[in-house]
Amino acid sequence: MRAVETHLLGKTNFGSPGGVTTQDHYVRQLWHITYVFAVPIGLIVLGGIVWCMIRYRVRPGHDRTPSQFQYHIPIEATYTIVPLVIVAIVFGYMYNAENHVDAIAKNPAVAITVEGFQWGWRFTYPNGHEEVGTVANELDINSNDNLPVLFMPAGETVQLHLVSDDVIHTFYVPEFLFQRDLIPGINNVVDFNVIKPGLYSGQCNNICGVYHAYMRFLVQVMPVAEYNAWYAQQPAGSITTAGVPAQS
Amino acid sequence: MTLIQDRPEEHLVHEPVLMEIVPGPRPRGLVKYITSTDHKQIGLNYLVTSFIGFLFAGLLAEGIRTQLIVPNNHFVTESVYNQLFTMHGTIMLFVFLGPFAFAGLGNYLIPLMIGAPDMAFPRFNNLSYWLYLGGFLVMSCGFLTNNGAANFGWFGYAPLTEAIHSPGPGADMWIIGVALTGFSGIFTAVNIITTIFTLRAPGMVMFRMPVFVWNQLVTMFLLLLAFPVLTAAFALLWIDRHLDGHFYDPTHGGQPILWQNLFWFFGHPEVYILALPYFGIVTEVLATMSKKPVFGYKGMIGATLSIGALSMGVWAHHMYTTGAVLLPFFAALSLLIAVPTGIKFFNWIGTMWRGTITLNTAFLFCCGFLVMFLFGGITGIILAQPVLDFQLHNTYFIVAHFHYVMFGGSAFAGLGGIYYWYPKMTGRMMDERLGKLSFLVLLIGFNLCFFPQHDLGLRGMPRRIETYNAGMGWNFLNMISSIGAYIAGIGVLLTVINLFYSYRRGQIAGDNPWDGQTLEWACSSPPPDHNFEALPPIRSERPVWDANHPDQLTKVGH
Repeated sequence: MRAVETHLLGKTNFGSPGGVTTQDHYVRQLWHITYVFAVPIGLIVLGGIVWCMIRYRVRPGHDRTPSQFQYHIPIEATYTIVPLVIVAIVFGYMYNAENHVDAIAKNPAVAITVEGFQWGWRFTYPNGHEEVGTVANELDINSNDNLPVLFMPAGETVQLHLVSDDVIHTFYVPEFLFQRDLIPGINNVVDFNVIKPGLYSGQCNNICGVYHAYMRFLVQVMPVAEYNAWYAQQPAGSITTAGVPAQS
Repeated sequence: MTLIQDRPEEHLVHEPVLMEIVPGPRPRGLVKYITSTDHKQIGLNYLVTSFIGFLFAGLLAEGIRTQLIVPNNHFVTESVYNQLFTMHGTIMLFVFLGPFAFAGLGNYLIPLMIGAPDMAFPRFNNLSYWLYLGGFLVMSCGFLTNNGAANFGWFGYAPLTEAIHSPGPGADMWIIGVALTGFSGIFTAVNIITTIFTLRAPGMVMFRMPVFVWNQLVTMFLLLLAFPVLTAAFALLWIDRHLDGHFYDPTHGGQPILWQNLFWFFGHPEVYILALPYFGIVTEVLATMSKKPVFGYKGMIGATLSIGALSMGVWAHHMYTTGAVLLPFFAALSLLIAVPTGIKFFNWIGTMWRGTITLNTAFLFCCGFLVMFLFGGITGIILAQPVLDFQLHNTYFIVAHFHYVMFGGSAFAGLGGIYYWYPKMTGRMMDERLGKLSFLVLLIGFNLCFFPQHDLGLRGMPRRIETYNAGMGWNFLNMISSIGAYIAGIGVLLTVINLFYSYRRGQIAGDNPWDGQTLEWACSSPPPDHNFEALPPIRSERPVWDANHPDQLTKVGH
């Protein structure tokens, strides 16, 4: 099975962007397991349907009444029990993956509060520095210049505290292969360990009102030294608003 | 309840009894439509109304796809776009898919299939229809208000639905409209369950009922369990909006997650309310067109029952990303539903196996159902796993998944059902060439529209966004998807044309054009008032087949 995985499926991303976090391994493994079972079963069922349509269709001059068989207990038992076993195997892999993906570290390198509001994002760092962006500056959908930016160090565990004060939003970065809701009254905490530095785009993924589509943000993942240098420059309690020139 | 006692006990199928049962002139036209308590007339009312809902909501969908055809498009405003997808979903689910099958086909066919003269509560039945029509009109009229219709998605997550975030009468009309269709559904469920339990013809024991009736029965129990919860959730929302309640309002200690739990406790059984009756249609059509009994009849019923039971315990798989539910429990139950669904697939193949298959439009639509529901089922297994759902939730992958299940699946089966039972309802056959053309166009359009959406979802395109950045790599796929939506629209229109054309010009069908197996094919087309003048003996689940093929009797027991 592992050989099949690596040779046939190892290089593909199944159309999705390659994951950039340590969670990628588990997500990819789960895709593989699902494909290994789902594709053959799907093909068998599809083949059965197409075979019946072609092989047993009425042709001119063929006017027979088919045999009226109705039950075949061994076959019926087989296609009940085998799927049960497969479901158990898939569930086992899923359970393992979920424990890793959802794990929360006790001592994260950085803890950032991510607040969603109608319609924008506020990222608050441990020293009180805030990165903010609102829809007022983002209404040009084709421009990424005025989006709020979440700065994160690469290769470290970054803990995000997800909060909302008005309606439900969702923190979603496609390259992280992960999303989590920001629900008023519930404090969600997620950990990311991004391996690959880069600039990623994220977006609110839960309908939150008129300007839902414009509630976008960027994630800037930097090597640790670079991140530390950036962080050192941000005065405690300062606010950077995307699209608004910094005030002196 | 004198209806039962009047019925002849047992007769041979061809014995003519030429007796007018109901004396006096019968109301016709509009008066008949408004006043009739006949289950067939009410069933037709439901079918026509829900199909109009299908066309209306389909039109809204074309609006959605037109807005998304190119990035940064300005076909409609943000608010109107949100109204389009909200009402598209609401009308498709509450007005078309559910009532079309459980109220429309259910009303028309269940009494016929179990050999009953009418439903158990005919006037109650009439009331259900009027509540349903009222609900449809009220929620649709939201478009006429100054703030427009509801605009927060068909599952209306609180607190976005609170008065402060969504003011205006559109949202209220949405609440009232859905609640009215909900009451209609509850009443219909009571009526159909009573009919099935008390009005079966002599000999029609439970394990001789057609699979269609069994599936309807399980659906009705799901409806009884799910819809009152929805109505209660909507009542709380109404109190929040108008009477200063704070059930879902977090600023006063309310819990938004409560809405999600209540809504999906209804919402997931609802998904099976929208699927099980269509499984029943497919089962009947495949068996009849293959000239075979349903393979594994009892296993099929067992699978329906276990799907019904499991569907009550999987609601939180819509809430994996909230971080507020017990993931392994809901993942395990969700994955388990694949097992009975798989049993059904193998039974369907077994039904066709070594049969004599007539490849007509009804059969083709049902095969379309099989293939696309299979695909929607496989993506469902992907989404049942929380870790993969974290990646795909609320993206276009979800949109593609449930359209493969609900449109490529249920709606295709529904269209197959129309082609299959249209001769019984009107006395005329639908045009086969136009029907096959409609199937082909719809099949191509549907797949062009929804297959690329899987890829869009994997590339991270969220659902319900009104426009998108041109640099995300989503442009081409959205273009293809929109073109597919237009082609699918043409495919549906071809069937609409066929419905009108065949009503006047179709071939005369006769009582039993398909060599049908179940009791509805024993009466005339369309059936007379109170349905049966004589019933064939019911010795198996295929009484009409047994009467017409005495040398090929269905084996009883196994």
